[in-house]
Amino acid sequence: MYRRLLPLILCLSLLAATQTGCWSSKEIEDLALYTGLALDKGELTKAEQELEDKGITYSKQNKITATIQVIPVKTTGSKDKQGGQQGTPYQNVSGTGDSLLEIFRQYSIRNERPIVGHHLKVIVISAELLKQQSIGQLMDFVLRDNDIRPSSMVFISQGRAEETMVSKRSDEVPSVHIRQMLRNRSRTSKVLSPMILSKLDALIHSKRSFALQNLVTADGETEFAGAAVVKGGTGHWVGNLNQEDTECLSWLTGKGDTGVIKAYDWDNEPMTYEMKAMKSKIKARSDGDKIRFEVSIETEGRLIETWNTSSILSSGDNTEKAAKLFEEKLKQMMEHMISKLQQDYKADVAGFGDALSIQQPRAWKKVEDHWDEVFSRARISFKYDLKITDFGSFTE
Amino acid sequence: MSYIPGWAVFGQAGIALLFPLLANILYKGLYSLVGSGRAVESPGTKNANPSKGQSASQAGVDPAPAPREFSGDYAADLSYIKSTIGRNSDLHFKEFTMTRVQRQAVLIFVDGMQDDRQLNLQILQYLMNEATAESLSAQGMSGPGLPFSQLSEASDLTLFNQSVLFGHAGLLVEGLPQGLLIEPPASTDRTLGEPVSEALLRGPRLGFSEVLSVNTSILRRQGFNDQLEMISYRAGTRIQRDIVLAYMKDIVNPELLKEVETRISKLDIDFLAESGYIEQLIEDNYLSPFQQVQNTERPDRVINALLEGRIAILLDGTPFALIVPVTFSMLLQSPEDYYERWLPSSLIRMLRFAATFMALMAPALYISFISFHPGLIPTELALSIIETRQNVPFPSVIEVLILEISIEILREAGIRLPKPVGPAMGIVGGLIIGDAAVNAGIVSPFLVIVVAVTAISSFSIPMYSAGLTLRLLRFVGMGFAAFLGMFGTILFFLLICSHLTRLKSFGVPYLTPVSPFRLSDWKDLFFRSPLSLMKRRPVMMKTQNSRRKS
Repeated sequence: MYRRLLPLILCLSLLAATQTGCWSSKEIEDLALYTGLALDKGELTKAEQELEDKGITYSKQNKITATIQVIPVKTTGSKDKQGGQQGTPYQNVSGTGDSLLEIFRQYSIRNERPIVGHHLKVIVISAELLKQQSIGQLMDFVLRDNDIRPSSMVFISQGRAEETMVSKRSDEVPSVHIRQMLRNRSRTSKVLSPMILSKLDALIHSKRSFALQNLVTADGETEFAGAAVVKGGTGHWVGNLNQEDTECLSWLTGKGDTGVIKAYDWDNEPMTYEMKAMKSKIKARSDGDKIRFEVSIETEGRLIETWNTSSILSSGDNTEKAAKLFEEKLKQMMEHMISKLQQDYKADVAGFGDALSIQQPRAWKKVEDHWDEVFSRARISFKYDLKITDFGSFTE
Repeated sequence: MSYIPGWAVFGQAGIALLFPLLANILYKGLYSLVGSGRAVESPGTKNANPSKGQSASQAGVDPAPAPREFSGDYAADLSYIKSTIGRNSDLHFKEFTMTRVQRQAVLIFVDGMQDDRQLNLQILQYLMNEATAESLSAQGMSGPGLPFSQLSEASDLTLFNQSVLFGHAGLLVEGLPQGLLIEPPASTDRTLGEPVSEALLRGPRLGFSEVLSVNTSILRRQGFNDQLEMISYRAGTRIQRDIVLAYMKDIVNPELLKEVETRISKLDIDFLAESGYIEQLIEDNYLSPFQQVQNTERPDRVINALLEGRIAILLDGTPFALIVPVTFSMLLQSPEDYYERWLPSSLIRMLRFAATFMALMAPALYISFISFHPGLIPTELALSIIETRQNVPFPSVIEVLILEISIEILREAGIRLPKPVGPAMGIVGGLIIGDAAVNAGIVSPFLVIVVAVTAISSFSIPMYSAGLTLRLLRFVGMGFAAFLGMFGTILFFLLICSHLTRLKSFGVPYLTPVSPFRLSDWKDLFFRSPLSLMKRRPVMMKTQNSRRKS
């Protein structure tokens, strides 16, 4: 018994000793994490242009330029010598081609570390590119890839997307900066709730229209500026919503409950309403082929700022007058937004379709395939209820 | 039929099945190769003769070699004793004449084992001047005849010799058929103190000592009770030592008691130096890294275990008592859990479970995160780790091993360091080496945190020996993580779980009440429920009497 066992044990331990390769082990410092991805219309970078001039290229059509933001930049030498401050903490690498993965693999013949997408936070697509290519085509690899998290956020940029990946400030990473700016949703509704990849996946496949947060770069600073509307059927960019429209969109969809409304009072002095609560409800009605929506918007808030020194706002009459004015302003904003969606873009990005599908599933079944068309003709009526509950702390 | 996989898949499944089978065969082979360490039958101490009561040392037990009977002839017996053990320089033969009865007698004792004053003044004075023929008469031998509280007859000369050398005062009187043992050894005893290995903030500051009779008396002194029973055994083929089994007669499960008695009586070793010998010789599975016998210095721990229906084994010459059977949860419980109020106790106990997990898995998780799954680290942390690790030339396994091994060396050295030097060396070892290693770029600062947390966590386990187990398994876990990353780490955890589920301590599954599931025992597992809820003894012990309260 023992005679047979001992060799067996020996063999097994030898086998274990030979298996020293740590399978799929990659040390974290030998990898290049990319946190941002920017997609632009194909335009060769300077380096690529030079290479191409030397005849070094591969078969491609140059449809897109993909820029990834690699962090952190490898510091050589001892880390104590950081007084110089010459470099940024990130490094942008661009490549041009027509397959995202091929471009990614092309980076590997230029850089020393393989890139991994686990930490991809932000994907920015330029509106120009989205006019040519559909969002489904551009996002196909990103959605398929195993490394990239479904929680990555997608934005649209006016102008070159790669510019959003550059920052004036040398101590911050732009892609992380963009993601962190989303925290301000507690202060303003002009920032849409972020579109993450998993949501986008569903929207692309159900051929629905949707709005994406717009990014605008000016003088090296990136700002959230309104929203971009992507049409469901084609997956192309069709137009923008301005900041106030975006704010209204947030309120209407119930995703945002903050923000301010500024109106001018009877003396043409500005006064500001700060929203404390916002509730919106979409009711879908269908009689026959006609579909109409009743939207009720309830909001509570305080009057936080007024430049009017002559009349006291807190007296009963004036309060109601002020509330009326704010309501009027809100109505104006909402109607502007709805008319833009219905007339200009013919795209339902505000979730009316969802309301219909839940409340009137049978009616929804009939119009599902050409919903954007039907939406543009649907009658939408609004009911507003704006309450001023207090006036901040002040002395009379 | 496309859903039926091809032959290749079946082949792979077969190979996968082969692995546990092979492991099982290997395990069984290894087990039978080494043997259990226990005698299967006819043990060396087959005549371990249970005698009830505390006076363990006087239990009439024959030694192994063929005993030589008393001849009844004073001169012959004395010369035999002198010829066998007379060469010992510390042995004294005090020969005298009993004046009243005019008989020769000899008092034999070992230097330093007896109270000299008492020996001289009382015993010798009595024997020389006062002892009468009646008090020496045969029927009064071990009874009221002689005014000694501790008196017994030695049944044969060999035992007489052994007892005298152990420290008894032996008395040989002309005309008496047997030798008498009159005074038990009064060996030097240390003062009772707080147990070093299991210090508590709240609770009795009393630990066991090295003297068995003191330990049993400490147990007796826990309170008035007539059900605490102690049975004494003697084991050791060359040098014999006393073992006492203690249990509550009306609580303990008789089958368990029988099992423990069988295993104790089968002890087959020449000398039991410490209770650890017993532990290793009676445990169920010596290949398991987990202890199946709990050792403790605390009498309160022992008495509480007895009240739960467990059995304590005390060995002469060591302050560590053993408690059987043991379950996994006991290793993470401290007596203080019951002394403090239930809410903080429960919190601390859960903290201990968390600390145990960290002590076991933290380095393995570190390796798998750093080397295999950078995506599982939050981005900001990943960035700072990359920055700090850029100058580290080693893969994470080597890095962890360097620091873990050096901290283990530090721990091992800390036990042996002289007291005044200890803390200073701790600072040098922990702080300076850690800091220097980071600055020298051998390890990353993040790892120093991981290793330090691991070391601290392992000290929060109340049982020192359980901590040893975790120290061992931590390295195994690191090996798994280095091979297979998170998959290996999880595999390692599952392996431990499956091993623990299979393990038994004296017939009680190690993981009770988790597996087998006993809901009522969960009251005292992860949290300690209020005392008023714990009305019954643990179900897992299958006690005779289940109610704690009247």
